[in-house]
Formats: sequence, structure tokens, C-alpha cells
Amino acid sequence: MVLRIGHLTKVYGKGAKGVRANDDISLDVSAGEVVGLFGHNGAGKTTLLHQVIGLTMPTSGTISIDGKDVIADPAHARRACSIQPQTHASLGAVTPRQAIEMMARIRGAGRHRARQRTAELIAGLELEPWASKAGQQLSGGVLRLTTFCQAAVEPGRVVMLDEPTNDVDPVRRRLLWRQIRALADAGCAVLLVTHGVTEAERVVDRIAILQSGRIVAQGTPARLRGGHDERLRLELSAVSEAAAAALRPPSEMGDQMGMAVVGRRVVVTIAADKASAAVAWAQAERAAGTVEEFAINPASLEDVYIGLTADPKEPRDA
Amino acid sequence: MRSYLLLMRWTLLHLRSVLPLLLFLQTLIGVGVVVGFSFLVPQADSVTALYLSTGSLTIGLITVGMVAAPQLVTQAKMTGAFDHQRTLPVPRLAMLAADATVWIALALPGLATALAVAAVRFDLSFVVSPLVVPAILLVALCSVSIGFGIAYGSKPEVAGLLSQLILFVALMFAPINYPAERLPRWLATAHEFLPFTYMAQAVRETVNVPAAGISPLSFGVLALWGAAGLAVTYRVMTRRG
Repeated sequence: MVLRIGHLTKVYGKGAKGVRANDDISLDVSAGEVVGLFGHNGAGKTTLLHQVIGLTMPTSGTISIDGKDVIADPAHARRACSIQPQTHASLGAVTPRQAIEMMARIRGAGRHRARQRTAELIAGLELEPWASKAGQQLSGGVLRLTTFCQAAVEPGRVVMLDEPTNDVDPVRRRLLWRQIRALADAGCAVLLVTHGVTEAERVVDRIAILQSGRIVAQGTPARLRGGHDERLRLELSAVSEAAAAALRPPSEMGDQMGMAVVGRRVVVTIAADKASAAVAWAQAERAAGTVEEFAINPASLEDVYIGLTADPKEPRDA
Repeated sequence: MRSYLLLMRWTLLHLRSVLPLLLFLQTLIGVGVVVGFSFLVPQADSVTALYLSTGSLTIGLITVGMVAAPQLVTQAKMTGAFDHQRTLPVPRLAMLAADATVWIALALPGLATALAVAAVRFDLSFVVSPLVVPAILLVALCSVSIGFGIAYGSKPEVAGLLSQLILFVALMFAPINYPAERLPRWLATAHEFLPFTYMAQAVRETVNVPAAGISPLSFGVLALWGAAGLAVTYRVMTRRG
């Protein structure tokens, strides 16, 4: 186990007015593992990363990296971790290539290795067209990727990424996920904060869902999906809002576990064994001209996430 | 040492686009003090001329250390770059030293120009002491550490206002460009504790050594102020919220 967080609590402010940004969090990340940290804005994700890297002092609890207590020795945390902060780099006149290479050098790489790793990352993320342009001419997405490269170029034992995919285009997101996976495969322990639940699902080994400072669920994506694995999601696009509102699934589809209508879009959650009845109904509606198109998918991790974090009071009682 | 050099390169790389402008402004301020104040005092006697020409150096160092440097720190705080910097695996002191070196180096060309212009403008010849090098370094260091102390220790909005206030006081209400005797008593007393008097004195007395010799008091006071600024800066850099 590389990163070990035990019963970590961070309270901002004093007494009854104190805000528990992190509340009794225990989380481990081993070498070669990518752990995804999900949660709403303000759930305490960034606070957690800041305590590991030594920017924020925990109120109680323990953090160790390779068995070393980093609360007592924050300099060790800085040597052992690299972090991609949520804000992207302000490069000014510096080019991404220079910024990444300098960061590698500052993090201890030799000149040759710094240059080589920088070239690898720039190629891996297809950043060549921008690599030698001044930072002020670059888009948010390219800057974000540059910040990622700065954390990945000479990674620590622990790599922490705070919303690395923000502002990044869909094609480079895929490349980015591949690089994140590569970090873990090279032996880093990767702790990743993201809102892109669905995309992250393919890359992460384990997931921790944070709600109001507490971990409300933790495990592999398959385990978290649990009961939801048996469910499917039928999505229909009706021709008009009125048609969408008038749609009534037949009784053969069983008791619907949930039906949501938003504008022309209708989502029905059904049991897996009712798939053929659902397809028959959707096709009939399409033939009748009320539905333009439809799709059936397994219920996603996002559905699980939304279910777990829907009621802010519920997890406290759990 | 390795991190110090790398961080210095990093700071220079970052400042590269504004470097010519900064150098130009530095020179302009130095020369501006000499020329501008001589409009205020058309018949400059030798004392006034000495105060103005050496005062311009001190003002130049104060501008760099207590205005320009903290402004960039404040900017870094607002963009989040400050926190990012604090996550780097380098000694805090190397980080401070690298920044301070760059800022002091930035101030030097302006100082030389200002002094040359002053010598021509007032037709002065100086009795320069070799102590001028440590004196300028000490004034610069003290100025930068106080500037950093302010930028690191206070909220961005407050830091901005404070550095403007400092420049205003230094230019108009501090015995830098004129002798302390011309100030009202209370202000003169206040300046016995503030660093401005001693900065000006250290520069003035080493650029043109007075008959009575160079006073060690100014060096001592500046060292104390520098240490205080450094202590605040170091404390803020290592603080965990």
C-alpha cells in the first residue's frame, strides 16, 4: 500500500459553526492502482488532496506514504507526490514544452530524461501543434493538459489529479485516460478527482464516492453497480414534448423502477428480463410516429452515483 | 543549490515577456526621481543633489522589492499558482532565494543608469566606498523580504493597497530624497523605526562617504527588518491551513 489515509477529519472553523470538510475518511491506494474520487462540488475532494500534499493541516487522522507519516513530514509528501491542481497553469510567455520540461527538472529528472519524458507525453496527448507556442495563446484545454503533463512527467510515488479532463476535447480525453492508466501501470498510485463518472469508469480500479465530507461508498465499479447490474435503461426521443408526456409503457414491461421525462427525452429503468418487451414497445411507438429513436443500455455508474448522492441526509444515517 | 538554479531559470522564463518592460520601467523610475525632483527644487545645493541622486537608487530598490515583486506574488496567489508552487519538492528557502535574486538583478541596470544621469545632471563626483556593493545588496534584500512578507502575509487586495502606500510614503514622506530634519517631529520619530531612513542612509553613505564615516547602525537595522520580512514569508510558505 503506497498511500494510506486513516480516519482523516478536517474541520474548518471552531465549535458548532465548524464545517466538516472531511469526516472520518479512510482510503488506501496501492501501486499500480487508479482510484477515482467522485462527489458533488464542495464534497471535500480537493480538501482531501491538499491534506495529502501538505497544503492543509488535518484536524485528526493519519496519512502515510510508503509507511512514512507525512502529516509530521510534509516535505516527504512533496517529494513523494505530484499533483495536478484544479486551476490550470498560467504560463505567460512560457511554452508547454518548456513548462513540462522545467517541471521534470525541478522534480529531479536529469536533462536527458526530462526531454525524453516531455516528448513522450506531448506525443501521447497529440499536443505537438501547441507545444512550442506561448502559454497566453493557448486554450483552456491545452493548458489543462499541460498541467497534467507537469504532474505526470516525473511522477511521484503518488500522483493526484484534480479534475484533469475539464475543458479537454473528447478525442484528447481518451488519450488522457490512456496516459493516466499508463502512470498506474508504471507503478504509481493514482488518486483521481473527476465529475466524468462514465468515462472514468473504464479506467479506474476502485471508486470512492464522497458526500458532504464522508465516503458513502467505496469499491470496484462492478461492485458499486451491484444491484444495478440487473437493470437496463431505455432511452426514447419523442417527436414532441406532448408526445413524450403521453408515452405510457405497457404492463408487459413490468413495474417500472423509474420513468423520467425531460422535454422530448424519456428514460425508463427496467429489469433486464423485460428487454424484449421494451424493444417491442419502443419499436411500435416508432412505427406509430411518436418516437424518433431509442436505445437500451445497462444502467451506468452515473445512475448509481446519482442515487447515492441524491439525498444529502441519507448517507449520514447509513 | 540545484533547485535554486532551476527555480531561478523558471522565474526568468516566466518573466521573459515582461522583462524588457520591467527593466525599462526600473530605469525610468530611477532617472525620473532625479530629473523630476530637480524640477521641484530648481536650485539644488550639493546636499539636495546628493540626496536626490542616491535617493533615486533607494526608490528604485523599493519599487522592485516592495511593489513589483509582491504584485507578482499576489497574482500567483489569485491564479492558484502559489499553492501549486508550494507543492513542489524543493526547499522553501531555495524558492525565496531564487525569486529574490531575479528581482535584485532586475533592479541593477536601472540603478546604474540613474546614478550616471544624476552625476551628469548635478555635476557630482562621488567618493564611492567598496561597501556600496553589500549596502545595495542589503537594501535590496531587505526590500524584497519585506515585500514578500506583505504579499505572503496579507490578503491579495490588502497587499496591493499596502504596496501602493509604501511607494507613496517612500517617494514623498520618507527621508530618502531629503534630510530627516525637514520632516515634522512625529514623522521623523516614526522613521527612526521604519526601514526607509536606513535604506537611504546605507546607499548614500557608501556612494559618497561622509567625513564622519559610514554608520553601522543603518546596516544593523536593515538586517533586522530583512530578517523580520523573511520570517513572515517563511512562516506563510510553510503554514498549513
